[in-house]
Amino acid sequence: MLRIGVYICHCGRNIADKIDVKEVVEFAKSLDGVVVARDYKYMCSDPGQDLIVKDIKEYGLNRIVVAACSPNLHERTFRNACKRAGLNPFLFYMANIRELDAWVTEDRKKATEKAKRFVRAVVNRVKLQKELEVGKTKINPNVLIIGGGIAGISAALTLADAGVHVYLVEKSPSIGGNMAKFDKTFPTLDCSACILTPKMTSVKAHPNITLLTYSEVESIEGYVGNFHVKVGRLPRYVREDKCTGCYQCIEDCLYTEPIFPSEFDEGIGKRKPIHIPFPQAVPLVPQIDGNLCMWLSSRKCPRYCMEVCEPKAIDFKMKYETFEFDVGAIIVATGYKPFDPSKIPQYGYGIYDNVYTSLQIERMLSSTGPTGGEVLLKDGRKPKRVAIIHCVGSRDENYNRYCSKVCCMYSIKLAHLIKERSGAEVFNFYIDIRAAGKAYEEFYRRVLSEGVYFVRGRVAYVTDIPENEKEEKEVEKGRLIVVVEDTLLGKIRRIPVDMVVLSVGLEPSDGAEQIKRVLKLSCSADGWFAERHPKLAPVSTNTEGIFIAGCAQGPKDIPETVAQAQAAAGEVLSLIQRGEIELEPSIAYVDKEKCSGCGVCVPLCPFNAISLKMDENGKLRSEINPALCQGCGTCVAACPSKAINQNLFSREEILAEIEGLIKD
Amino acid sequence: MDVEEMLETYFERINEIPNSDKFIQCIQCGTCGGSCPYGMGTLFTPRRMILAVRAGIVDEVLQSGAQWLCTSCFTCSLRCPSQIPITDAVIPALRELSLLEGNPPEELAAALMNITRYGNSFRESPRKRDRWIKEVDFEVPLISKKKKAEYLFITECFGAYHRRCKEITKAFAKLMDLLGTDYAILGNEERCIGDLVRLCGEFGLFEDLAEKNIRVFEKYEFSKIVTHDAHAYNALLREYPRFGFKKEVVHHTQFLYNNLEKLKEMFGKLDYTVTYHDSCYVGRRNGIYEEPRAVIKAIPGVKFVEMKRIKENALCCGGGGGGVWLDSFIKDHIKERPAESRVKEAASVGADVLVTACTLDVPMFEDALKVTGLEGQLEVKDISEIILEAIENS
Ligand SMILES: Cc1cc2nc3c(=O)[nH]c(=O)nc-3n(C[C@H](O)[C@H](O)[C@H](O)COP(=O)(O)OP(=O)(O)OC[C@H]3O[C@@H](n4cnc5c(N)ncnc54)[C@H](O)[C@@H]3O)c2cc1C
Ligand code: SF4
Ligand code: SF4
Repeated sequence: MLRIGVYICHCGRNIADKIDVKEVVEFAKSLDGVVVARDYKYMCSDPGQDLIVKDIKEYGLNRIVVAACSPNLHERTFRNACKRAGLNPFLFYMANIRELDAWVTEDRKKATEKAKRFVRAVVNRVKLQKELEVGKTKINPNVLIIGGGIAGISAALTLADAGVHVYLVEKSPSIGGNMAKFDKTFPTLDCSACILTPKMTSVKAHPNITLLTYSEVESIEGYVGNFHVKVGRLPRYVREDKCTGCYQCIEDCLYTEPIFPSEFDEGIGKRKPIHIPFPQAVPLVPQIDGNLCMWLSSRKCPRYCMEVCEPKAIDFKMKYETFEFDVGAIIVATGYKPFDPSKIPQYGYGIYDNVYTSLQIERMLSSTGPTGGEVLLKDGRKPKRVAIIHCVGSRDENYNRYCSKVCCMYSIKLAHLIKERSGAEVFNFYIDIRAAGKAYEEFYRRVLSEGVYFVRGRVAYVTDIPENEKEEKEVEKGRLIVVVEDTLLGKIRRIPVDMVVLSVGLEPSDGAEQIKRVLKLSCSADGWFAERHPKLAPVSTNTEGIFIAGCAQGPKDIPETVAQAQAAAGEVLSLIQRGEIELEPSIAYVDKEKCSGCGVCVPLCPFNAISLKMDENGKLRSEINPALCQGCGTCVAACPSKAINQNLFSREEILAEIEGLIKD
Repeated sequence: MDVEEMLETYFERINEIPNSDKFIQCIQCGTCGGSCPYGMGTLFTPRRMILAVRAGIVDEVLQSGAQWLCTSCFTCSLRCPSQIPITDAVIPALRELSLLEGNPPEELAAALMNITRYGNSFRESPRKRDRWIKEVDFEVPLISKKKKAEYLFITECFGAYHRRCKEITKAFAKLMDLLGTDYAILGNEERCIGDLVRLCGEFGLFEDLAEKNIRVFEKYEFSKIVTHDAHAYNALLREYPRFGFKKEVVHHTQFLYNNLEKLKEMFGKLDYTVTYHDSCYVGRRNGIYEEPRAVIKAIPGVKFVEMKRIKENALCCGGGGGGVWLDSFIKDHIKERPAESRVKEAASVGADVLVTACTLDVPMFEDALKVTGLEGQLEVKDISEIILEAIENS
């Protein structure tokens, strides 16, 4: 005997304003099998849930329907209520009359009619629902972190200190990420290297961290609690286990002078084929650029480096190596890359010598950078006037729509540092100053009081074409003219400067794209990894066991990056502490009798859960790994033999639901 | 009209133009004002026009006359971070109000009147539109006789009547003749395509022209339109589809590029240093940057040099958007006309010839040569003229 209870939620006024709840209750009562139907202000509240618990016991209900908000929000709440009353939670189902009805239907009558149909549809389908059992699986306590910027480093240390074994995989030869390139950090102006270097060395020294630099994740298989990871490491031709970081090889390289643009110095510093990106690098081990090294490219070098290396660390036979290991959870911290300003030709990057990106200036300001901390023009002079252009590539529908969040603050920081180092007059050209953060507005004030000019207007273009004699003289001195509408003054201004700094925005790093593919993670339209919920699950992803932190999720500053990294570490700890996890039972399964082995489903599964296997009779049959299946239903719909079915979404259940919706 | 009515009319018009919903997303950044070749000359930059309209003081904008300074160069629209259709909507809709109020600059009012009456801005008889074909030594086929052709060649008003621009028309027709192209012209059935009319805010007249022109097109069988007039190209490509015209439209730079292999066989040598001016409606508006360069560079002996302001950043000749009809109005408002600055730039990079690909450019630049005293040092040629010269030199 079916005994159904139906509960209609008002959701305060969210639902009740648009839907005549009483009418829906009366309608529900008229449906076959319904024993009780009630409404309540907030079904998700404790008294609301208690209604269900009490009714199950009192009336012997064996099916429950709640018409309220999206199941994304409260399915779990009501399933638990059923469980508390001793009812198998999979005999419950929700009708979404808020997002799908009250919020999107103007007319109250129509909304009420729609709500009735939703309720009837769900009442129809619960009748067919069966009891299901939740499976369990063990969790591997090791963790993989992808990306060794400040996000990856912070998460790794937090986890390792808690006794968790961490594999930290970094693409470039050293960890540190973008933060390692800065001289000072806003708003406190503390020295970036001083706060970052100790963390980098602890990563190297920590017994619980396996550090794999110059490495990339090749593939990841498995599911929450049980991921199998393959990592590939590029040959650096210097053995990490032997090298002492003495720099002798670099000094004695066939190339006596560094002449190749250094990646770490954003192209303004030079390096040799054998080099260490920066003095605080971790690991402090050189690497040889295979394309530039005379021995590796043409065998035309006596290999001085090899000769002088006492610990015999140079090894030209090093090959690409792969490592395999298992982990239970993953943190993605692949960070960002700066916007390429040559896409905006009117700013003259790559055309005029003295137009630089902000990151290049960060390198100049660094005492271990290419100019030893001085801000210099291409010809070695100190600039007397500098323009800093905000929002380059950000807040712009032609490039990136979003605000890159950190540029205002770092532009203010750069204004301060440039003025301090060179004594130059500095002009910041901005659209809005966004200084929201602890002590940020105060920092802006401080830099204002140092005499930096702030001109409100987005620079139209940078040119070396003079418009009058006065400008001709400026251009002769090597100056560029910044043209802007000073929107507060209501005038077009043409300001001659020696140097232009482009405050480039942030974009997802190149490495993110590959990780997105390997992990099948979803991204926002702009390419940042998407969090499960923007407010309530900011470091989780839609895939269980995979977390995100730092700029991989979107532009943010260091304090926020570190907060996220530690939050992600907390989430990971909470997961692996459980020891085992429950598996959602609404997954797909194959009817081996009906399956023809055509394999259509295999490539369609977004979670790689399906494989073709030989059965006892030597026939190919598809098989679904219950731990991998996320219950998306793609294969169910695709199977030409109707051999795949899904718990909680059987054909009969769905047809009953449709019938409930469309019947007059 | 009182201000209320003006605003109502303004928004009604704006709302008909694609993407104008972005109008209210203006972030007041000033990119438009700083980018405008006339930004220096006017109180109301596009930014302030938007602000003023939203503040309900559209009458003050109209009184300033700022709306008539735009040459439709499209620089602001291309750079606007909110992708507001400034050139296609914000400014033409203001001009429309100005026209309705009955106080447009005189030259312009006359041009519009002529187009209404004669179908061309020159006050010439429509029956003289095909006169130029009698001035050439080859036969130019009329579609009314030929009935069917692969290309319909649109000469547009300047190309048909203007003393200098006619030469470009002849040169391009000759090239098609030499290439054996299956083409024909409308002759006296051709009428102003109307892009400048649209940009000047005479939307009613533009619609009328478009509908009449399409009715004529429908009489004949052809598969593509080719034109050397950048504005005709733009309107046929971007605006006419709204009125039901769906055929492929080719600019003559694209046509020449597509026929480059054949042309190469005919080329002789030219001993010039050449630079190329990206016209607003070939380059910036429609993204044709590489084809004309490839064609010019293919001429043996030509030394190609670039100016500084190229491609997206090219400087406007000042002729577009009705600029050709606003010359004296504009002169009162700015120090140096952009065309003058442009020819100086061409000379400064050592060019003997400044090649363009928009009929309006040639007379604009030739005027500028006189004013700047560069006549004799620098020559202005359309791309089809220099190609023809290269062929005739073989
Ligand atoms: C010019 C400039 C100045 C700034 N100044 C300040 C400041 O003063 N104060 C402040 O708070 N913030 C500042 N910021 C912001 C700051 O840089 C970021 O908040 C911070 O660096 C983010 O750290 P992250 O670890 O998330 O990313 P990143 O620093 O980008 O690190 C990501 C790491 O992941 C690695 N990686 C990427 N893909 C892969 C892959 N597939 N596999 C393995 N590894 C991969 C990268 O090589 C990199 O090492 C500034 C930003 C800029 C552009
Ligand atoms: S460029 Fe665009 S967003 Fe900026 S002020 Fe002009 S119209 Fe507004
Ligand atoms: S289209 Fe050109 S001339 Fe017209 S307002 Fe924009 S920038 Fe100025």
